[in-house]
Amino acid sequence: MKRCHYWRNRIPEAIYGDLDIKTREKLDRHLAVCERCSDVYSGMAVTVRKMDARPAPDRPPQFWESYWDRLEWRMAHEIGESEGARAGRKGHPAGGPLSRHRAFSVPRWAHGAAAAMVFLTLGIFIGRNLLRPPAEPPLLTRVMPSEPAPGGQPVLETGPAASPLAIRASRYLKRSRVLLLAVVNSDPRAEDVFSLNLPLQKKTSEELVKEAMVLKKEFRSSDRRLERLISDLETILLQIANLKSDAGPSAVEIIKAGVESRDILFKIDLNVVRRSAGKSIVGQSPGPWGENRNQANVKAAAKA
Amino acid sequence: MSRKEEARWADRLIAGDPSGFRDFVEAYKRKVYGLAYEMTRNHADAEDISQVSFMKVHRSIGTIQPGRGLNTWLYQIVYHTSLDHIRKKSFYPREALPSIASEALFNEPPDPAAGPERAAEAACLRRRIDEALAKVSERERAVFILRHYHDLKLKEIAQALGVSLGAAKSYLFRSLRKLQKELADTETCLGTGDRP
Repeated sequence: MKRCHYWRNRIPEAIYGDLDIKTREKLDRHLAVCERCSDVYSGMAVTVRKMDARPAPDRPPQFWESYWDRLEWRMAHEIGESEGARAGRKGHPAGGPLSRHRAFSVPRWAHGAAAAMVFLTLGIFIGRNLLRPPAEPPLLTRVMPSEPAPGGQPVLETGPAASPLAIRASRYLKRSRVLLLAVVNSDPRAEDVFSLNLPLQKKTSEELVKEAMVLKKEFRSSDRRLERLISDLETILLQIANLKSDAGPSAVEIIKAGVESRDILFKIDLNVVRRSAGKSIVGQSPGPWGENRNQANVKAAAKA
Repeated sequence: MSRKEEARWADRLIAGDPSGFRDFVEAYKRKVYGLAYEMTRNHADAEDISQVSFMKVHRSIGTIQPGRGLNTWLYQIVYHTSLDHIRKKSFYPREALPSIASEALFNEPPDPAAGPERAAEAACLRRRIDEALAKVSERERAVFILRHYHDLKLKEIAQALGVSLGAAKSYLFRSLRKLQKELADTETCLGTGDRP
């Protein structure tokens, strides 16, 4: 059976005359004794003879006569196409699927890249203009002052984010202002100096001096104007804190002169106005309370 | 075409003979077209494939080695170009198969001495062979066509198709067995026969 398999595979070679003489003789000997292989051989030989009845496909002579012209035209066309000289040329008779895909000189990746750019631009446009979140209303923070304002009104802090340091500075200035007004408005000739309640004001001054030192450290030159004001205040507050219990009117007068020479009350009011103006730039009008406060501050400054 | 003739063609192409490529096309066009037609069963496709194959040859003249036989290389190009073409078309145009009897596909005119009955029998047999060839696989068909109609040795066929010699032998055996099976009842074409 193994021999049969071997020889059957060689039958086509034998039919086409590809076997050498020795192998052919061996095959003939096998075919003489093996009926099944002999049948395969004869069947294949008949098939090969039948195939001879069908000649190789051919075309009329006029087809072959113009074959070179068509080929030459196509070659020239494709070379011209690759050089970008495609103007005025259209499809040709032999144009099949193999030539059609050369119609575009722009590579496919360029189309993909262009499409990606268009989508990216569209996405940015939509994201910027159509999907922008609505403007958030400014946060309103009601800050209750540690000491009530002169009019007993609460201070309304507005702004996107009032930092704790700014709030503390604001409180510090308000406390200092109240203290200075009390000192500045006292009349040592008409009243007794001790009606100022000096021990309380000395204690308050000490607290404010300590707070001034902390504030100055925390500001770290972020707001130089405010820092300078606190330094000036610190000097005055130190003078108040260092007043002796038996200090005469001259000592109070010196403090008054210091306050006036440094324009400390004016600077405090100016700072309040500046803060209000900053808030209105953000988009928030100062509001009735803010306006009242500013007017009161300006009046107080004028008084001072 | 002998080995020496092939080597002469190669030398002419490499030397850049102005008429060399044209003569080469004239010499090989029927063979190239024939294999392309057998692979696609369509004349328009066969012409397209043959032209593309010659253009590939023209582009690759610089790679030809002096004295090298061109037959195997050329058939290799045609075979692979045909496969590419078939895959691009994505279907085998069986419906477009031209009827051998209705179209003048072959130059060989019917023998006037044979008479109309013999001519009808021959046409019937041709059609049956054509149908049988369409039923074998592309590789089996290529091996059979190159051996039977192009007279290539099995070793050359193996090189052209990029398969081993044993595989080429096996493909030839299988194609012949299938054709034998398909053409077993061609006796019906004899006598009254099924005239197209």
